[in-house]
Amino acid sequence: MNSLFKHLPLVFRHEWRLLLADRSLWLTLGILCAVLAYGLFNGITATEARTTTQVRLQIQEADAAVRNVDLLRRIFEDKANPEPFANPANPANVGSGLAARYAMMPALPLAPLALGQSDMLPDHYKISYRNKTSFLYDGEIENPWNLMSGRLDAVFVVIYLLPLLIIALSYNVLSVEREQGMMKLVLSNPITLSTLLAGKLLARALPLLAGAALLPIVALLLFFPPARQVDALPQMMGWIALVLAYGLFWFALAAFVNALRTSSANNALLLISAWVVLTLIAPVIVNLAVSTANPAPSRVELATQTRLVTIAGLNRYNELLSTDYRYTTNLETLRPKDGKLDIPERLRAFYLMDRDVDAEISSLLDRFDIQVASQQALVDRFGFVSPAIVAFEGITGLSGNGSRRFQHFKEQIDTFHENWRGYFQPKVLGGQAMTESDYADIPRFVWQEESARQRWTDLAKRLFQLLLLAAILSVLAIVFLRRYRVV
Amino acid sequence: MLETHDLCVEYDGAVALQSLNIRVDPGEIYCLLGANGAGKTTLINAFLGFVEPATGSVHVNGLDVSRYPLESKQGAAYIPEQVMLYSVLSGIENLDYFAALATGRRLPKARLMALLVQAGLSEEAASRRISTYSKGMRQKVGIAIALAKGAKALLLDEPTSGLDPSAANEFSLLLRQAASRGVAILTTTHDLFHAKQTGTRIGIMRKGHLLVEFDSVAVSHEELEAAYLEHMRVMQ
Repeated sequence: MNSLFKHLPLVFRHEWRLLLADRSLWLTLGILCAVLAYGLFNGITATEARTTTQVRLQIQEADAAVRNVDLLRRIFEDKANPEPFANPANPANVGSGLAARYAMMPALPLAPLALGQSDMLPDHYKISYRNKTSFLYDGEIENPWNLMSGRLDAVFVVIYLLPLLIIALSYNVLSVEREQGMMKLVLSNPITLSTLLAGKLLARALPLLAGAALLPIVALLLFFPPARQVDALPQMMGWIALVLAYGLFWFALAAFVNALRTSSANNALLLISAWVVLTLIAPVIVNLAVSTANPAPSRVELATQTRLVTIAGLNRYNELLSTDYRYTTNLETLRPKDGKLDIPERLRAFYLMDRDVDAEISSLLDRFDIQVASQQALVDRFGFVSPAIVAFEGITGLSGNGSRRFQHFKEQIDTFHENWRGYFQPKVLGGQAMTESDYADIPRFVWQEESARQRWTDLAKRLFQLLLLAAILSVLAIVFLRRYRVV
Repeated sequence: MLETHDLCVEYDGAVALQSLNIRVDPGEIYCLLGANGAGKTTLINAFLGFVEPATGSVHVNGLDVSRYPLESKQGAAYIPEQVMLYSVLSGIENLDYFAALATGRRLPKARLMALLVQAGLSEEAASRRISTYSKGMRQKVGIAIALAKGAKALLLDEPTSGLDPSAANEFSLLLRQAASRGVAILTTTHDLFHAKQTGTRIGIMRKGHLLVEFDSVAVSHEELEAAYLEHMRVMQ
């Protein structure tokens, strides 16, 4: 222990001197910074685009509401004629799209670090009383790991490139000393092999991990104003902790491989093989295993089921649907009278059909959600076979673009959709005309953030998994170092 | 002081040293002669704790190397046949590192330079990268490293191999100076002349055994050569 405290700073300083002298550290840091900068640029651009879109949609929504109320007022004052398919007094028109509201999932302060599914799955939906398949399930419904591949962002750099840079700097820290003949001279001094290895790895870990963990935070603070909130601080700490833990795993792996006393070439081969297995192959295997164990319901089945239910609806409401289009020519019927409106039968039929579709395919839609949740649970459970999965899941969770938050968003959409339909149903079926005050009462989507406890529990679990893996490798490295033959 | 008691060392089942008893007292320069594979380097490795005794024990300054691996290294300096150093660093930067490892603290630059000059390296050379050094210059840095350690025991593995006569002579002088300060020196060599000139005692090893010892003052060069050749012939 005395040797550790006395010699570790000496080895650390010497290694820095070596790394600076042969420029390998600068080169490595340069690559890391350049790719991280590109990833951050992508992340910030994409997140700002999302936020801008959401703001634009909110403005559109507000403008539409003002237009509708204004037109309604003028209709009541006989200053304007209602239009047959965009009548602000008609709850069927209003509820099925004229005043449709957007449900939006806001970006978190760390969103630019990991775009996750945001580039594959929408962060907003236009809600009406139409059936859910018409707006909610028009995207890909699959295992979250299928949805991960996206544009190059900071988390991609950390998960895939950082280990390669760690390997490039660390694969031969001991073997090169043995191969070039310095090891005996070094170890003829009162220093242990584990202290020597620790000092060497620490000298490489400090700049590399500090760069990977802190550069994105600095960039966010400078170029992404939402990250400057005080609330973002714990999330930033979480990011730093995850990056450090993930980096620590790779350094521990490098330590273990160095302790095996194979040649530098073998070390490189072993570490690159480990990188391929842990970051490329293991996620695919987990993905396959998860998809096999919990296959998502067929998309064809969903489409077919929807069509069958729709056809059944067409038959069921045949009479209502067969009514004529007199409303398009008789403007008087479009005007509200004593709070009532002659709602076209066809529109009532469409409302009922959409309601029936949702009711009859709800079990199928539930199966989608259950399967996605089951797949996520399996990924959570067996993701530890790859630290890449663990770190990715942890970081996307912190960035707010993970599958768990998306599921949370969808649950809120389900509730909002039900509320929306519940608000319009009595008006549509009872023939009640929309009034100005009704517009003020139309349900609004209010985003509820997922529980902070859940997020921090999830983060703690990922950190524990990464640190446990790193600890196991470190212990193995120490065991092998004790058997290490210097000559 | 360097000492072994009935030391046996095996490599993967093959015997490298067998019941070896050797003792180098403070102020002595013990030169170990022997053909390649005689066990000379293994003995040095045993003193440095790089090989574990199968039986017997190894002591440096009274400390059992197996029980006190770090403490025993504190008291012994080592110069290999080829002093391999960090080629991207200068001589003084290399010495800075090794001296710090040896003493547990960094020495002042002036002290490092003085040690290199004492070892025979010019100040200009000391600031150049090791990649520009000859073998002799690297050997001098190795000497400076040993001097910096200020150890009571010195282990040298064919230190003059490949050095020109003048450099070898300077090296012998440095060894004698160290011995006069009470340092126990064990050096392996193939060079009988160097052994006779520098050593106070000379041992001949073969197949892990110490066959014979001479007092370098009492033995003539011819007698030493004859004894060495005879033992080598027996081996062949």
